Amino acid sequence: MSIVSAFLVPGSPLPQLRPDVAPWGRLRDALAHAGDSLAASKPDCVLVYSTQWFAVLDQLWITRARSAGLHVDENWHEFGEQPFDIYSDSALAHRCVQACNDAGIKTRGVDYDQFPIDTGTITATTLMHFGSSALPVVIAANNLYHSAEQTEQLGAIAAAALQDKRVAVVGIGGLSNSMFRDNIDLQEDHILSEADDTWNRRLLALMESGDVEALRASLPDYAKEANPDMGLKQFHWLLGAMGGNFKQAIVHEYAPLYGSGGAVVEFKLQ
Amino acid sequence: MSEGVILSGFLAPHPPHLVYGENPPQNEPRSEGGWEPLRWAYEQARESIERMKPDVLLVHSPHWITQVGHHFLGVPRLTGRSVDPIFPNIFRYDFGMDVDVELAEACCAEAANLGLVSKMMRNPKFRPDYGTITTLHMIRPQWDIPVVGISANNTPYFLNTKEGQGEMDLLGRATREAIRKTGRRAVLLASNTLSHWHFHEEPELPEDMTKEHPERYDGYKWDVRMINLMRQGRMKETFQLLPQFIDEAFAEVKSGAFTWMHAAMGYPELAGRLHGYGTVIGTGNAVIEWNLQEGGQP
Repeated sequence: MSIVSAFLVPGSPLPQLRPDVAPWGRLRDALAHAGDSLAASKPDCVLVYSTQWFAVLDQLWITRARSAGLHVDENWHEFGEQPFDIYSDSALAHRCVQACNDAGIKTRGVDYDQFPIDTGTITATTLMHFGSSALPVVIAANNLYHSAEQTEQLGAIAAAALQDKRVAVVGIGGLSNSMFRDNIDLQEDHILSEADDTWNRRLLALMESGDVEALRASLPDYAKEANPDMGLKQFHWLLGAMGGNFKQAIVHEYAPLYGSGGAVVEFKLQ
Repeated sequence: MSEGVILSGFLAPHPPHLVYGENPPQNEPRSEGGWEPLRWAYEQARESIERMKPDVLLVHSPHWITQVGHHFLGVPRLTGRSVDPIFPNIFRYDFGMDVDVELAEACCAEAANLGLVSKMMRNPKFRPDYGTITTLHMIRPQWDIPVVGISANNTPYFLNTKEGQGEMDLLGRATREAIRKTGRRAVLLASNTLSHWHFHEEPELPEDMTKEHPERYDGYKWDVRMINLMRQGRMKETFQLLPQFIDEAFAEVKSGAFTWMHAAMGYPELAGRLHGYGTVIGTGNAVIEWNLQEGGQP
């Protein structure tokens, strides 16, 4: 099996930009802890899917060997910048492009200077300490028109294409995605509604239990009731990469992100 | 200082393909052309801008999406390279824009006065979205007129169309008041496509116009219906139909720019001048001008 570790992490920049806000700081610490676990699995590369890199035409993969710059989030520009310097394994990315095309999914590589790497990828690579020359990434876009099933298929295709490698897989995106729409006291941040909180906790408990069948059964209701980030497609992608199964999960942290829900989850494969 | 006025408002969509087809020096990729009818439409819009010589161009773009409030560019000059996250093969554009910060601040303050959450974007490292840049290039490639960039708060998607358009109405009224108080002669740009059904795969040669057509016939028919109303100045009917148009044609005007612009202009029952219509990767795009000065509107 090519997948040696798997993680579900939030894509909000707030844990990086404002760790002084208690719940966001806890998420930052959890991301660092998850990054330690990822490194301990000794992967050759990290397979990344972020809900915030949108594609609408074709499936896209970063094939540029190094992407560096200074990012300012379109929402949270007031909290500062995110410098990034991300190394990709372009040969492996080309492999994924080929595998997707072979599967009938029209796919292209992206290799352009100053291409706008998305906030979620920048945050996760920074706080989990991957995307270096020693531990490069292979990054896929979120095609907005791909269903959960298609997204799971993509994750499986990528894992199969990299089966001779030790691969850590990271799905970047949030849980319930309803945010406060007004300015709030940041120190009073909490999940927007009790219903969202309940749904998130129910989902995370199912992940922890490793009862994948029950988890799968709950996903349509969760997607309908909790308004998760992109329908939780990042988890479907993880499921695909993990071969549709895992033994249990550890929730390193679950916290509000301006009313939305974010969790750092590590999946145990053995 | 005399009171400011809105000279004109344009429906000014932002497919980066139009910049690509034009081959301006700012854009790195080279094309063989393409989408000429829409580019010719923008040529007419440019001539109109040249005649009016406005003090400022205000643009509301659906690709600067904000969740907490309506944001306004608030840095005097922004420069950099914009690479389109969706179409990086055709849009890698070196931009430099001067921002009318005083007017932006006035818009922000007036929006707050009307109960909207509003924020100034003060980060000098910020990269404006490609929708803002494309619309501004297509309308004034010289970049010699200061701009005000306004984000698309995602209310219409997060809540519902009615509530979202209600916010955009207030935003338009706030914009009008800010223009009036600051004495600007302003042009408004609603950076929106009409029907938004599009291809899911890109042709091998993007500018191969034998591949260009409406993605859906029902979307095309909706566009024609709405454009005919606009050309006849039947704007009340246009706005009555807008929610249905949004739902049935997946119209990008849902994001609010069109409502913002017409609210700022006071919803004139004025015939829009159609500069041109065409599709881009299947979506319906019209360049339409409501010239308040020529129309004798206040």
